[in-house]
Amino acid sequence: MPQGDYIDLHRKRYGYRLDHFERKRKKEAREVHKRSQIAQKALGIKGKMFAKKRYAEKAQMKKTLAMHEESSTRRKVDDDVSKGAVPAYLLDRENTTRAKVLSNTIKQKRKEKAGKWEVPLPKVRPVAEDEMFKVLRTGKRKTKQWKRMITKATFVGPAFTRKPPKYERFIRPSGLRFTKAHVTHPELKCTFNLEIIGVKKNPNGQMYTSLGVMTRGTIIEVNVSELGLVTPAGKVVWGKYAQVTNNPENDGCINAVLLV
Amino acid sequence: MVQYNFKNITVVPNGKDFIDIILSRTQRQTPTVVHKGYAISRLRQFYMRKVKYTQTNYYDKLSTIIDEFPRLDDIHPFYGDLLHVLYNKDHYKLALGQINTARNLISKIAKDYVRLLKYGDSLYRCKCLKVAALGRMCTVIKRVAPSLAYLEQIRQHMARLPSIDPNTRTILICGYPNVGKSSFINKITRADVDVQPYAFTTKSLFVGHTDYKYLRYQVIDTPGILDRPFEDRNIIEMCSITALAHLRAAVLFFLDISGSCGYTIAQQAALFHSIKSLFMNKPLTIVCNKTDLQPLEGISEEDMKLVMEMKAEAMKTVIGQGGEPTDDQGVLLTMSTLTEDGVIAVKNAACERLLDQRVEIKMKSKKINDCLNRFHVAIPKPRDQKERPPCIPQAVLEAKAKQAAEKEKRKTEKDLENENGGAGVYSASLKKNYILANDEWKEDVLPEILDGHNVYDFIDPDILQRLEELEQEEGLRQAEEVDDDFEMDGKELTPEEQQALAEIRKKKSLLIQQHRIKKSTAESRPIVPRKFDKDKQFTTRRMGRQLSALGLDPSKAIDRARSRSRGRKRERSPDNDGGDAMDMDVDTPNKRLRMRSRSRSRSVSRPPGELVPGEGFKDSAQKVKAQKLAKKSSKKRNKDARRGEADRVIPTLKPKHLFSGKRSSGKTDRR
Repeated sequence: MPQGDYIDLHRKRYGYRLDHFERKRKKEAREVHKRSQIAQKALGIKGKMFAKKRYAEKAQMKKTLAMHEESSTRRKVDDDVSKGAVPAYLLDRENTTRAKVLSNTIKQKRKEKAGKWEVPLPKVRPVAEDEMFKVLRTGKRKTKQWKRMITKATFVGPAFTRKPPKYERFIRPSGLRFTKAHVTHPELKCTFNLEIIGVKKNPNGQMYTSLGVMTRGTIIEVNVSELGLVTPAGKVVWGKYAQVTNNPENDGCINAVLLV
Repeated sequence: MVQYNFKNITVVPNGKDFIDIILSRTQRQTPTVVHKGYAISRLRQFYMRKVKYTQTNYYDKLSTIIDEFPRLDDIHPFYGDLLHVLYNKDHYKLALGQINTARNLISKIAKDYVRLLKYGDSLYRCKCLKVAALGRMCTVIKRVAPSLAYLEQIRQHMARLPSIDPNTRTILICGYPNVGKSSFINKITRADVDVQPYAFTTKSLFVGHTDYKYLRYQVIDTPGILDRPFEDRNIIEMCSITALAHLRAAVLFFLDISGSCGYTIAQQAALFHSIKSLFMNKPLTIVCNKTDLQPLEGISEEDMKLVMEMKAEAMKTVIGQGGEPTDDQGVLLTMSTLTEDGVIAVKNAACERLLDQRVEIKMKSKKINDCLNRFHVAIPKPRDQKERPPCIPQAVLEAKAKQAAEKEKRKTEKDLENENGGAGVYSASLKKNYILANDEWKEDVLPEILDGHNVYDFIDPDILQRLEELEQEEGLRQAEEVDDDFEMDGKELTPEEQQALAEIRKKKSLLIQQHRIKKSTAESRPIVPRKFDKDKQFTTRRMGRQLSALGLDPSKAIDRARSRSRGRKRERSPDNDGGDAMDMDVDTPNKRLRMRSRSRSRSVSRPPGELVPGEGFKDSAQKVKAQKLAKKSSKKRNKDARRGEADRVIPTLKPKHLFSGKRSSGKTDRR
């Protein structure tokens, strides 16, 4: 007990006041009423926050109660239909089997082929051109309208130099250029901040792929040498594909799922 | 001088509260109304402000945390080590480091998102970016939540630390547990330390203050120390070790000679020897406590030997400070906190030794020379053997004695009451202290109403005084009047002067009379037209007479008056016939006229090229040139009849076309 703890010292010497515990009990009992008062009075953002917190508490409480009740209540056991069970009218039929058994390897190959294009986001919203580009007016009288500025996140290689402005049709603003992506490994269930190597495919079109535009659903190539992945042959993998899962221009970062 | 006060560190909110505080602050302090139709730059600015504001708040809050928590390397080593012992330096530094990193990360995030917001092209996109920015900042804080919680705990504990000043006069009490350290501090200070009959009652440092020779001493009670290797010591013991190591204090090593604390004298001696390196250069005193149970003389031979050994060690500290080797008083002391036997002696000895040591150190230091040369106590040398006591007159001595006696004797009302039968019986007279001209009047009865009048209405306490004042004033006025008469009496004037005075007075009265007559008539006008001046009173002659009577020369005034009264006459200048001008040809009749006009001397105007000082020309040639240039420059303008700067201009204050007709938007200044 340090020197400044005068309350503790006093309690140690003289004990609690006689009605201390009674008061404490009452105060606790009154607490719910106090909270409800606050809940009714709180306005605006404070009210919302309070309501949310209270709702979460209540939901938690209900769950806990249910869990405790589960042990004591009796429930009807829902019996699962056993596998292979058939209705009576089909009993006399025999299942046909494939005459020719496909070899295991062929099956696997098929699966691989099918899986090659099976990506986490199979469908994406098409992006219109006027959403993708902003028209810049040029010329002394601002009458020429052949220049475009890309309004989405882009990737440009490390050795990129801009064309002379006279010939530069597409401008990729440096503020929207990204070099790193947060890539989640779906099996390891963890995320890494990896460098982007290139844009493999933009679902909106070949032009966007070549421009390096990264929208939702774009396949990018990332540098996974940090992860230490190895091929069956034993080589270290350093480039792997990943699919962008968010709208980078809205979130200010690129989230992607590694395609394994 | 650094004051160590850890009590006013700002509260560190926990992670969740921190986020709530910052976000609601952003919500409250930045504008909230925005519409899709606003100009895009306005939308961007709206959301940029939110991001930037949140970041600034985070920065400020985190900065206060980083700044207010003491840096262990910068504070006094005593506090540095104490905090290390209590909170673990590495952990502490790590927590602060994390806060610092969080601050930098947040700044970076804000920078990035503000940059991205510059490319935002819609309200939706700007809002998404703002949400992302704020969310990422809050995530950073969520990550450092454990550090924040730790710092808050430390803050609360630090505020409760006793305020020890490491540089002041300090007495440090140490020894085995349960030897009576806390009882001693309770005896000499008001620290109110808990005393219990078991070991380790005191678990932290306690501070009390005591006075000795009008100086304030800080007394520190430390937890008991056990005799074991340094690494095995626990936090409680380390507190005492820290205090012993870093405070330059007088150390009191407590020894329980009765052994009732559970440790023998041999064990205590072993502890003494194991920590004696901490006593270096400090005035050390060995205090044998609990003599009520066991006097020092009664202990066994071996124990006595051990005590003497310790004493010898303690003596070394005396010698180390330049003390006399034989001066062993105040090194080994006995006392009993139970019977309060020798407690004050121990305190005094410790204080005395500490003071000596501090003075000695001060005297050795360099700074003392700056002060010493300012001190000078003058003691006059005795001339001879004669005694020269202060001389006080007999009367003064007597007066003093009398005053003292009176002071003692002065009777209060209370005394009177007691003498005259006590409370209830004695009634104090309110009238006896009246200040009146005659003491006999004190007991007089004053009626309230007399002859149907309220007496109080007629009482004027200072009426006599006012009467006196009035009389005085009157006397003064009379005296003044007498003075005035005397001034004009002219008793001391010579006959001639008297005559002149009489004349002056006569004239004065005459003038006054005339003036009065004048004022009553229309003739009081300054200039009187002739028709009113029927009796030809106002003539120049008369004026001349008057003026000459006053002793002035009237001729000029008369001339002027004449010239004014007459209109200008057509006159002919005096002829100058027969001059050399006659030599010129006289063929035309005009010539004559010309002659006549020329004959009059005419004032000549300055020739155009003449140099006038102050115009700034070098010579007349330059002036001529300048004039020519000026003329030439204005020639064309004049020819074209252009407006020049010298022309008079009347501006059109209210141009008609601007003030007539209806005006729609944009038609205020051009129609």
